[in-house]
Amino acid sequence: MFAYVVRRILSTIPLLLVGTFIVFTLTAISGDPLSRLATADVGEEAYERIIELYGLDQPIPIRYVNWMSSAIQGDMGPAPSQGSQPTFNIVMDRAGNTARLAIPAFFFIAITAITLGVYSAVKQYSKLDYFVTGFSFLGISLPTFVFGLLLQVIFGLWFFDWFGVRPFYVLGMRTVASHGWLDMVRSHVLPIVTLWLVITASESRFQRAAMLEVINSDYIRTARAKGLPRRKVILKHGLRNALIPLVTIWAIDLGLLLGGSVVTETIFAWPGLGRLLLDGIFQQDLNLTMGVIMVVSLLVVAFNLLADLLYGVLDPRIRYE
Amino acid sequence: MARDKRYGWRLVAAVSVLAMVATACGDGDDTATDDTGDEAVDDANGDDGAEDDEAAAPDGDAYCEEGGDARLRWTHEQEPPDLHHQDPANNLTITSWVRRALLESPYGVSAETTFIPQLIESDDFAEDGDVWRYEFTLRDDLMWSDGTPLTAEDVKGTFDILMEGYDYDTGEGGEFLYGSRDADGYTLIDPDSWEVDGQTYAFTTEEFFSGVEGLFNPVYPAHVLTDAATANEALTEWMVDGEPIPSSGPMVFTNWDRGVNLTMDRNEDYHGANPENPDVVNRGVACVSGVDVAWVADTDAQINSLLAAEADVIMTQPQVAFGERIAEDDNFTVASEAGPVWEHWGFNLNNEHLADVAVREGMAYAMNKPEVMTALYTPLFDDLLPEAGLGNVYWMSNQPDYVDHQTEAGYGQGDAEAAAERFESAGYELNAEGTWEHPERGPLSLRVGTTGGNQLRELQIQIMQESYREAGVDIQIDNVPGAAYFGERPFAPEATECALSGGEAGDCGIWDLTQFAWVGGPWPGAGHVAFLSDSGNNAYGYQNEEFDALAAECDSTFDDAERADCYNTLSSYVTTLDEDPEGLVVLPITQKPSFYAYSNQTLARGAVAPDADSAGPLVNVVDFLPAP
Repeated sequence: MFAYVVRRILSTIPLLLVGTFIVFTLTAISGDPLSRLATADVGEEAYERIIELYGLDQPIPIRYVNWMSSAIQGDMGPAPSQGSQPTFNIVMDRAGNTARLAIPAFFFIAITAITLGVYSAVKQYSKLDYFVTGFSFLGISLPTFVFGLLLQVIFGLWFFDWFGVRPFYVLGMRTVASHGWLDMVRSHVLPIVTLWLVITASESRFQRAAMLEVINSDYIRTARAKGLPRRKVILKHGLRNALIPLVTIWAIDLGLLLGGSVVTETIFAWPGLGRLLLDGIFQQDLNLTMGVIMVVSLLVVAFNLLADLLYGVLDPRIRYE
Repeated sequence: MARDKRYGWRLVAAVSVLAMVATACGDGDDTATDDTGDEAVDDANGDDGAEDDEAAAPDGDAYCEEGGDARLRWTHEQEPPDLHHQDPANNLTITSWVRRALLESPYGVSAETTFIPQLIESDDFAEDGDVWRYEFTLRDDLMWSDGTPLTAEDVKGTFDILMEGYDYDTGEGGEFLYGSRDADGYTLIDPDSWEVDGQTYAFTTEEFFSGVEGLFNPVYPAHVLTDAATANEALTEWMVDGEPIPSSGPMVFTNWDRGVNLTMDRNEDYHGANPENPDVVNRGVACVSGVDVAWVADTDAQINSLLAAEADVIMTQPQVAFGERIAEDDNFTVASEAGPVWEHWGFNLNNEHLADVAVREGMAYAMNKPEVMTALYTPLFDDLLPEAGLGNVYWMSNQPDYVDHQTEAGYGQGDAEAAAERFESAGYELNAEGTWEHPERGPLSLRVGTTGGNQLRELQIQIMQESYREAGVDIQIDNVPGAAYFGERPFAPEATECALSGGEAGDCGIWDLTQFAWVGGPWPGAGHVAFLSDSGNNAYGYQNEEFDALAAECDSTFDDAERADCYNTLSSYVTTLDEDPEGLVVLPITQKPSFYAYSNQTLARGAVAPDADSAGPLVNVVDFLPAP
């Protein structure tokens, strides 16, 4: 297995290099940092400062090589849109904030998607199945910002009108250190619920489809014929195999969740990686944009590797050579 | 079977607890303690009462007693990269808005967009032989928040920082990050003429400089910002030697948690607003115990924050959504002021159609400003702005010297007949599509562009597009998202080269018509940069030496009435054909106030935010009175 892991890690290096080069190139050509000076009556020195900062007098491949060689050593350069603080420090700081949403959201998503998916499959065409299916399509169809804003309106405005209390904060991140446990929870609930609703909707569909395929397979029928209890057949023999496709989805979703949800973090004014990426793009801060992209890429690659390893745990027939 | 169900619920409960623990685990890394935010939440719920009245200055006591002392919570869409507003790459409005609560200037700006004394007690401008001498006396009671008296040495120190390393012979150089020393008039001051004595300072210029009241905005604390390098570094994060820069304003900077909020605490040693300021009621320290600025990029989320009582005030670019959800709600006060930010359509004078003055005049007649005002601005700002739109680019509609030159000339009222007469006189005929067409130049089809994503501007253009279509002009929309528009269209290097060379060089075909806003102020002379022949900000390509000379003459005219008339004449040059038969460079549409609203639920009284985009909601922050 060790050799497999090493081989996989090595194989991701060219993937990361190609991917980040494409992003670097697209980011570099999509906006001109000097355009921010267009309406300012400034001297040459102001232009030179920005040209020097981003190496704008160099070809893009050279700029990429320079940036990447520094980034590998943990130096992603200063982020002008963030007061020229080190990009690496900012990205790591924001990654922690994003994890506050991503990790609990992922736990809820995993539990709910499995529960709803399995129940829908086992009780196919039941009322609950129709309900879950309807919920899923609603969740898949509606954009994230609709859910987010709707939750803000329901719990920030309507709930107050109905019951005279505002159970959750609609904006911003509060921590135990700054505000105590209760306010920390109150500020985390709505963004987590938004992520949970949107992602659970699609994942429960995957789980349902996988489970349907498994429970109609021969070995399940054999297990039932041998007299094993239905519950044991479903949870022990069926679910384990039905989880394999979902693990692939989890790997992608968890990587993206930890990489920051741009929409959710923007709506809830959450200081995470998603909003940081948006700031970087809007303010044409190449270092910052690349820093976030790099972290997200690494996370997606890492979780995909983890998913590959989990396949072997879930299905002993899978061997790594 | 019952046991199995319990097992399932236990599993869900266990995972839920794990999830909550995972959420909380991140707190170990969060070393930034922010007690102030906690206070804000409690106060908003009415749990906290006034308890710091002893610290208030006598004048503020009575005013503040009527309310609580909660913190003021303001949500804003754009977090600045730093707080060094003189950095040309960071000329964001929000930066100056935050700084208004921290540092004061010799003069402030009133709701009528006029200069009013702030740090100044008195002034005297007079000819002194061959030069003009300006003498200012600061108020006696001025104090920095660290207890150091604020004196004339601070003003001189500010001048020294601004001009450090500047070469008066070549007009180049300077250690302090700064964009336009020339345009702002600092270079006019004779550096050897300074006289400083206690609270009094004086300097001279060769000719009278009417923009002198706008200088030294703000005054920096000379005892900590000793040179340009120190100032450049300190102003970025607002810290010097590990301490916040001392304040002369009603707030003191405390913390900036990037991505989350910027917090300021009340300056307990604040010397109070100038008695000459007509917009302020409270003459003592602020009633609010501090200000928390939270960054909320999404417009709808900003509104939700106000509606959910998680913010007390918002002030931002006007959006249609604000009118729909807040302007009609009695729980909120919309308190926008007209201000000096003006939207316009500008002509590319090197465009083959628009180079013909008859075409420009036809466009001016065809524009329908009242339609735009009725559809977009009146629902947001009631009768704050004139229904006819704006007709002057030097004086704004809320200033006493304002004259609507464009309406007087018959422009901007959707007069299709007059427009048709002008187009015909230029050799255009209506083609089969109903569009004016010139035998050589082709159909009168023009691209208009603006900062894409600005909903109000986009709607404005769409309304104009329709009214121009009825007048036989084909308008094509050519927006570029966000601020990139400027660098890619009217201020693209090739376009600027074309404008400055009179169409001889560069690329004159990058844009035809542009829509954006200029930010003016109480001193109209700052607006010259848009029209002077050699100005890098003159995107239109207007070249008129007579105008250039008159602009200099206006700035150096001492008599207030004469100077006001002079600026009106300048406005006529570029908005009509009265002064220059080859003029008519821009079509001012309207002033664009920021949308400023505060909650009547959490605030007993709001503050006047005088000149919209330039000052921001904190300029009179002493007057925000939290609900009891």
